[in-house]
Amino acid sequence: MLKLIPRPLRTLIVIALLAVVFILLADRVDEYRVYQGATIAAYVVAIISIVLLTGYSGQVSLGHGALMAVGGYSAALVVQNLHWPLWISFFVAVLGAAAVGAILGIAAARLSGPYLAGTTLAFAVGLPSIANRFTALGGEQGIGYDVGLPPARFGDSFTQYKWLFWICAAATLVAVGVAIHISRSRYGRIWRAVRADETAAALAGINVARSKVLVFTISAGFAGLAGALFSTTVFLVAPASFSLGLSFLILTGAVIGGVRSIYGAIIGAFVLIIIPIIAETLSSGASESVATNLPAVITGALLVLTVLLSPGGTAATFEHLTKAIRGKVRH
Amino acid sequence: MQQFIDTLILGVSFGAIYALMALALILVWRSTRVVNFAQAGQAVLSTYIGLEIHRLTSSYWIALIVAVIAGGIVGGLVDLLMVRPLSRHSGTGPEAAVAPVIGTLGLLAIVQGVVGIFWGGEFRKYPAAFSTDAISIGGSRIPFSPFDIFIVAIVLAVMVAFGFIFQRTGLGLAMRAAAFGSEVAQLAGVRTGRVRTVGWSFAGSAGALAGVLITPNVFLAPNSLDLLLVFGFTAAVIGGLESMVGGALGGLALGLGLAIVLQYLGSSFTFMAAFVVLIVVLLVRPQGLLGKKGARRA
Repeated sequence: MLKLIPRPLRTLIVIALLAVVFILLADRVDEYRVYQGATIAAYVVAIISIVLLTGYSGQVSLGHGALMAVGGYSAALVVQNLHWPLWISFFVAVLGAAAVGAILGIAAARLSGPYLAGTTLAFAVGLPSIANRFTALGGEQGIGYDVGLPPARFGDSFTQYKWLFWICAAATLVAVGVAIHISRSRYGRIWRAVRADETAAALAGINVARSKVLVFTISAGFAGLAGALFSTTVFLVAPASFSLGLSFLILTGAVIGGVRSIYGAIIGAFVLIIIPIIAETLSSGASESVATNLPAVITGALLVLTVLLSPGGTAATFEHLTKAIRGKVRH
Repeated sequence: MQQFIDTLILGVSFGAIYALMALALILVWRSTRVVNFAQAGQAVLSTYIGLEIHRLTSSYWIALIVAVIAGGIVGGLVDLLMVRPLSRHSGTGPEAAVAPVIGTLGLLAIVQGVVGIFWGGEFRKYPAAFSTDAISIGGSRIPFSPFDIFIVAIVLAVMVAFGFIFQRTGLGLAMRAAAFGSEVAQLAGVRTGRVRTVGWSFAGSAGALAGVLITPNVFLAPNSLDLLLVFGFTAAVIGGLESMVGGALGGLALGLGLAIVLQYLGSSFTFMAAFVVLIVVLLVRPQGLLGKKGARRA
C-alpha cells in the first residue's frame, strides 16, 4: 500500500506527520519539556552533520563544535549589526560555516582517519580562544542571539519557549528533509562509493578528492545551522558554549544513534537529552562532584560500549532486528 | 634580541614535555595504528595518583615513581580491556575506521569523569622537584629554573633509555618487528599481542611522566592535560608519527614556536598556532620531518 506512493512524497508525508505530532505535543507538555524539544531539534541537525561526514564519507571530525561556533557567530553578527531577520541569519550561519568547512575540507580531503581527527581536535581547541580575543565577537560574554517574542496574533498562551521550539523544529524538519534528499541523490551515492573503496570509486570516474571536500563543506553547513539553533536555545553566542565537550557530545549522539543513519540522528539527539536526566536521578543524594561528572562517565561508557558491542549504533541494531523478525537474516 | 633569546629558552622545557607526550602517542601508533586520545586521561589519572602519594609520603620522588608505574599499568590495561577486543570485533566500513578514535575518546570521557568524581573539579597545584624561580648567572636573569633543567635532563634520559631499548634489546627488536609487519613478526616467533601491550604500557608511563612534569608550571584539573594531548599530537605529526627522534625534534620545534607566538601574539593564538602548524605540516610534508614517503597512509 505504502509502496504505491513515490518515495520523495513518502518522505514529505512522514515529515509533515512529524510536524503535526510536534505541534500537538508542544501544546500538551510543560514549558521545560518544550524547551528541551528545541534543544533536541538543534542536536538532531548537529548529529546529521556528523552522519553526513562520517557515515557517508568515513571521515571523523572532532571539530564540528567549532564549526557550530562559526555558524552561531555568523548568525548572531548579522542580526546584531545589520539587523537582518532571524530566518535569513540561519542561511548566513549555513553559508559561514560551509565556507570555513570548505577550507578545512581541502585539508581534510588529504588526511585519513586519526590525522583528520587530531587536526580537527586542534581546531576545536583553538577556535573559541580566538573568539575570546576580539571585542567585535563580544569576548567571553559573547553576543546576544534569540528568536524574539512570538507574534501577538498567536495569543497569550503562546509562550516564548513554544515560539523557540516551533522555529527550531521547523528548521530541523527542513534540514532533515534536505539531508535525506542529499543522501539519496547522486552525491549520496558517490560518497558511499568513496567510503566503500576509494580506488574503485576513482576507477569508476569519481573525483575522490573533490567529493571529500564537498561532503565536508555540506556537513559544515549543517553544523552551522545547528550552531545557530543551539545558540537560540541559550539566548546567546559565547565561546564557552562551543567547548570541546560539545564536539564530543554530538559525535556521541551520532555513534549511539548509528553513524550511517539520518533517522539514527533523531535517536541520538534524544539520548543526549536523556543522559543528564539519568545522571541526575542516579546521583541524587550523592556529592556534588558525582553529580557534575556522572554525565561524562555515562557518555563515555555509552561510546565505548557502542563501538565494542554494536558498531553500527542503535539504528543498525534496529535494522538487524527487523530483518531477523522478517526471517531475512540467518543466525 | 635578548627578549627573543629569553623567549626561546622559555620554550625549551615545554618543548621537552611535548616531546614526551609525542613519544607516548608514537609508541601506541607504531604498535597498534591507533592515535590514543585517552592518553590525556591516563596522564591526568596518573598525575592525581602521584599527588595523592605525595600527600601521604611528602616525598616528590616516591610520588614520581608511583605515578610513572601507575601510568604503565593503566596503559597496559587500556590495551588489554578495550583496544584488543575492539580490534577483534571491528568489521569493515566506516565504523571500523572510526571505532578506535571513538573508543579512546569515550575512554577519555570516562577517565576524566571518574577523576572528577574522586578528586573534584578544582584546580590543584602539583609540587616541583626543584625551585621554579629563574636562575641568574653573573647578574643577568635567565628565564630558566632549576626545575626546567631537571625537566630537560629527565626527558633526555628517557629518550636515550627508549633508544637503547629499541636498538639494543630483544624486546626492542620484537617491538620493531611487530610494528614493521605484525604477521611477519608472528611467523618469526614474536608474541605480538604481548609486545603490543608492553608498548601501550611504556606509552602510559611516558604520558604519566609528561603529566607530572608539566603540572607544576600549569595546574591540575580533570581536563587540564587536553592541551598537552593536542600539542603532543602536533609534535608527533611534525615528526611523522612513526619516528621517535622525529617526535622529539617536533616537540622541541613546537615548544620554541609556541613560545614565540605566546610572546609576540598573545596566549589566545597559541592553540590556533598548533592547528595551523598541523595543517601546514600535513599538507606540505605529510610524512613529517623524518618520516618516509607514503608512511602517512599506512
